[in-house]
Amino acid sequence: MAEYFVARGLPVPAELSQNPLTHWRRLIVIALSLGVVYIGLRITKIDLSSANPEYAAGVIGQLFHWDFSILTPRDEFETFWDTAEGQMIVTIFLGIIATVFAIIVALPLSFLGARNIMTGNVLTGGIYVVVRLVFTIIRSIDVLIVVIIFGVLLGIGSAAGVLALAFHNVGVLGKLYSEAIEGIDPGPLEAITATGANRVQVIWTAVLPQIVNPYISFTIYRLDTNVRLAPILGLVGGGGIGILLFQSVNLLQYGAAGLIIFMIVVTVALMDFASAQIRRRLV
Amino acid sequence: MAAVLAIQDLVKVYPSGTRAVNGVSLEIQRGEFVVLIGLSGSGKSSLLRCINRLVEPTSGRVVFDGADVTRASRAELRRIRRRIGMVFQQFNLVRRGSVLSNTLAGRLGYRPAWRTILGRPLREDVAAAFENLGRVGIADKAFARADALSGGQQQRVGIARALMQHPDLMLADEPVASLDPATSHSVMKYLEEINKKDGITVICSLHFLSLARRYGTRVIALKAGAVAFDGRPDAIDERRFKEIYGEDAVEVEIGPERSQPQPMSATEAALAALASDPDLGGIADR
Repeated sequence: MAEYFVARGLPVPAELSQNPLTHWRRLIVIALSLGVVYIGLRITKIDLSSANPEYAAGVIGQLFHWDFSILTPRDEFETFWDTAEGQMIVTIFLGIIATVFAIIVALPLSFLGARNIMTGNVLTGGIYVVVRLVFTIIRSIDVLIVVIIFGVLLGIGSAAGVLALAFHNVGVLGKLYSEAIEGIDPGPLEAITATGANRVQVIWTAVLPQIVNPYISFTIYRLDTNVRLAPILGLVGGGGIGILLFQSVNLLQYGAAGLIIFMIVVTVALMDFASAQIRRRLV
Repeated sequence: MAAVLAIQDLVKVYPSGTRAVNGVSLEIQRGEFVVLIGLSGSGKSSLLRCINRLVEPTSGRVVFDGADVTRASRAELRRIRRRIGMVFQQFNLVRRGSVLSNTLAGRLGYRPAWRTILGRPLREDVAAAFENLGRVGIADKAFARADALSGGQQQRVGIARALMQHPDLMLADEPVASLDPATSHSVMKYLEEINKKDGITVICSLHFLSLARRYGTRVIALKAGAVAFDGRPDAIDERRFKEIYGEDAVEVEIGPERSQPQPMSATEAALAALASDPDLGGIADR
């Protein structure tokens, strides 16, 4: 390798004689990673001695002995909406309503959070920074934590679940929408500005046509995610089929729990498929 | 002839420290067809954009038809901008929009924002849009999506959009740099026509000196943001050319207006034949 340099009387570059596999930087990274795993195992005290494989096998078996009685009203006081499939539909709509609430707030805010719209003077630049910071803070709080907080504020039930999901999604959709605006082709903006149009006309004529498709795509993606999240919200008091699942696990009705989990899996898979199909056609 | 545009000591320094325009003073008379030439990065685009303040000048004055552009308020600036048409190298059409809606956008400066939001253009504006699309020969494409058109057609939509403004001045920022030679001439001819028939002053930046000579009534060359030459197109000889473009530059032709094959020397023809022969493919390159 070094012949090229030797033949010309040039100094041989140090890089040629180094083996990247044994480079000290690589060794340090490996050592640090192993250290983190070792310390982690020591302080988290992972202990599998209390596991009961026979009991677990029994529970898993019961999960597949589906209890179909939850699909029909149990007594004359219950209606269709108290059955598992009724609650599943309610849960889907919890996700939809949460998405709609989030869109209503995130859509106008996203323009204030787009750098290319807000550059110009100190005031708009400041608003941009604040809006993006708010989006980031909202997003950094996990949905389950938000549901617990909203459950305390509003009481356990659908209101807490929907509003918590909506709150979290303002952060997510706001960021996605803002970045869609930042990603547009600036050419038409420049051209429409040059015709003497005002800021509203520029946004309406040059920005909106470019962001409609990304907006729809992001919205469907989040709708999909929200319907997927909605059953879990019930576990921490957010309403919907999650509550039913939580109750049946606590009452050791694993047959009912198994059927509910199956229903959730099917619903999520269908949402996922439909969302992917629609978004593929949009691009 | 009255000066339609006066530029005094114009300077543009970008935040990065680049002095794109470095003390340019010019007077452009009504009806001129001014061609701006110069190397990439010589400040042509910045100068053009300072005229309608798409780029905010650092210092100096731009006076358009007696109105001080550089001191204009936002509302005044919009009234000035609507009388200055502009076409761009990348056409800058709303790609997903129809040709008609792109053309109608040229009237925005004359119409209130609510009309834009409701999407109800005035009947007279639609009629004018068809008129202008007809002038550039693409009225039949009015309802096609802008990005379905060829580059030359898209640039003609750009010209139609600018004509909707009833401009006194037309700025063209390398309008043919993305087009092939034959299409370049067709677009330049539309600019020539609006200059001669409508009396619209044109300031057009170009890369090809042959186009500058063919269409310009006056050529201004920029070098490092300053005016290096200002005069008649035929006054640019070999020496001036090297001053503008540097010692190593060689002038290239964009080709004739009609798409006749150019006469080639025997050697060139032989090399071309070699290059196109699949068995000997690429030999001419080596």
